[in-house]
Amino acid sequence: MGFEDTVRAHAAALFRYAYWLTRDRAQAEDVVQEALLRGWRAFPRLRERAAAKAWLFSIVRNEYLRAAGAPVPESLDGVDLADERSDHSGLEMRDALLALPASYAEPLALQVLGGFSCAEIARMIGTTEGATMTRLTRARQALKRLVAPAERSAGRP
Amino acid sequence: MNCLDYRRALLVGTGESDAMSVHRLQCAGCAAEWQEQGAFEQALRDALEVPVPQGFAERMANAQAASRRKFLAAAASVFAAAGAGGFYLFARQDPLALAGIDFVMKEEANSIMMGALTRSEAKAELAGTLPIERMERIGQVKHVRPCPFNGKTAIHVVLMVPQGKVTLLVMADSTVGRMRHAEKEGLHAAVVGMKRGSVGVVGGDLDVVESVAGALKG
Repeated sequence: MGFEDTVRAHAAALFRYAYWLTRDRAQAEDVVQEALLRGWRAFPRLRERAAAKAWLFSIVRNEYLRAAGAPVPESLDGVDLADERSDHSGLEMRDALLALPASYAEPLALQVLGGFSCAEIARMIGTTEGATMTRLTRARQALKRLVAPAERSAGRP
Repeated sequence: MNCLDYRRALLVGTGESDAMSVHRLQCAGCAAEWQEQGAFEQALRDALEVPVPQGFAERMANAQAASRRKFLAAAASVFAAAGAGGFYLFARQDPLALAGIDFVMKEEANSIMMGALTRSEAKAELAGTLPIERMERIGQVKHVRPCPFNGKTAIHVVLMVPQGKVTLLVMADSTVGRMRHAEKEGLHAAVVGMKRGSVGVVGGDLDVVESVAGALKG
């Protein structure tokens, strides 16, 4: 598959992934556009064409980090979802996702939108497979709390 | 597997393994959890799949083409503004790279008409300089044949990469330092050094030529 076909096949998922990194549609477009330009230049050096999808996602991530000037937090330490539970329970799922720290939302986006395995996600975000599984688990737990009806959430000890 | 293991595994979102499935079929509580999780996963997917701007993929493709044109136009205007002297300072027309362009314009067709080496012959011919496997990582090798080039013998290779055709001239006896460039008649050429010898890359697009040259550099 040539580069243009590869782009067409994955453009939607790349945009959505960029959106969940930037939380802004215009910035997401810019990030993907820059990433694809870099990708086009480097495409001949891509040794495994089967890995093109993961490769493009990684370029989008790198471009986001380059543009944002700050890395996605790698550690969950210091992120306390208990506060979010009490403040934001009863949210719609999309609002709940927006309330999640990027370090939670990103692996979810890679898993659900990209269809990547925990091992692939771990490589892409530079962590271990175990840590990725922990993030995915905690992200889902947090989302469940955030979308739970307020009275149910408030009634919890 | 017990209920706790099952529910923990569900939260990772990697689907249900055989062992999980066996447990669910024997446990009404986990079967209910599985159904609830299915609805949750669908809601999660729906939320993550934010609307994509209409015609996004096409716009991305067009934007790339526009950026490349802009880059080339900017380079051309710098050359024009700098005048001939500045041009040679900014982007020296390297004689070896120019010879590569001349080869494509005047000799390449003859080489192709004379027929290509078999794969095993090509592999043996290229083994000491640019292994055929390295070229095959970035494109499809369509033609390999030794040819007279620049007073010596080079291996002429036609390589199809996703962006189109490029010509390679593998020169076992020519060594170069940094990448050299030339542009003529709408063709671009780059020459890069390898562990042994050098390779010239000629094509119609500067970005593609530089990218292929970078990929082949030893």
